[in-house]
Amino acid sequence: MREFRRGLLATLPLAPGVVAFGLLYGVMARQVGFSPWEAWAMSLIVHAGSAQFTALGMWEAAGAIPIILTTLVINLRHLLMGASVAPHLRGLHPLWKALLALWMSDESYALAIAEYERGRGSHWYFLGANVGIYLAWPTSGLLGALVGTAIPDPGRYGLDLVFPLAFLGLLTAFLKDRISLVVALGAGGLALLGADLLPGKWYVIVAGLLGSGLGLLLEEVKEAWRNS
Amino acid sequence: MEKLLIFAGMALVTYFTRYAMIAALGREMPSLLRHWLRYVPVAVLAALIAPAALAPQGELELGLHAWAVLAGAAVAWRTRNVLLTILGGVAAFWLLRVLE
Repeated sequence: MREFRRGLLATLPLAPGVVAFGLLYGVMARQVGFSPWEAWAMSLIVHAGSAQFTALGMWEAAGAIPIILTTLVINLRHLLMGASVAPHLRGLHPLWKALLALWMSDESYALAIAEYERGRGSHWYFLGANVGIYLAWPTSGLLGALVGTAIPDPGRYGLDLVFPLAFLGLLTAFLKDRISLVVALGAGGLALLGADLLPGKWYVIVAGLLGSGLGLLLEEVKEAWRNS
Repeated sequence: MEKLLIFAGMALVTYFTRYAMIAALGREMPSLLRHWLRYVPVAVLAALIAPAALAPQGELELGLHAWAVLAGAAVAWRTRNVLLTILGGVAAFWLLRVLE
């Protein structure tokens, strides 16, 4: 239970970011014709920010199937996140794994995986981080939908910086050698390129796959060098 | 009612993406795969950061966001603390916006 609380509290610094985008989501949902309760329900049930914004954007023009397929494609990056956290969850009861997957967001994944990397991670901490983000997202969405008037762009106040800055703070847990640093720089560069050329969130998947592949390659080269 | 069905469909495919690999990689895995997975978090985090810092509007720009993230990087490097990194980066953003 202490670990759960630790994970929950770790989400607090990210709350301004979640709330800023939650409010914006609520307002946008109203503009598309959602009732506040529908806006709330979508966040409660789906709990996937980027996919929800995209779904709102196509709501009036597209049918159910395109919206669901787009959601799938945008969230494919979670396959990569799930794969990297899986070794830490081995031996857990299947129900625990199913529960941890339920509310795994980019943010709670980042918090949990960094804590595992530092040797302090646990499934209770992971769950606490999941729940922390999950509490803030639908609540702020409902609030935004109830207020319903225009809310300024989070970017104007630098609130869109909260997530990347949090990821930056967590990234330090992984920068332990030169290879990791090269991977970070390489993946960052690939992501910039990918964000320009690819639709949706594909840049995360491509840069994540190629960047980590580069790390493996460099590690093999280093091994071969040492053994020669 | 139709909305709820769409929400359920969205939730289902989302859950699939979150659960599939956690379930599939539950057992002992080959060492190559394990080594590769060790580099995934650093690559994914960097991939989430770079465009938000250097292309916040979709176009490459060396603007307020980039400098704020650079300031955040300095704080992160010194403190390794998430809260301080956020505060430092957002404070830099505000400061630069006032000075602009």
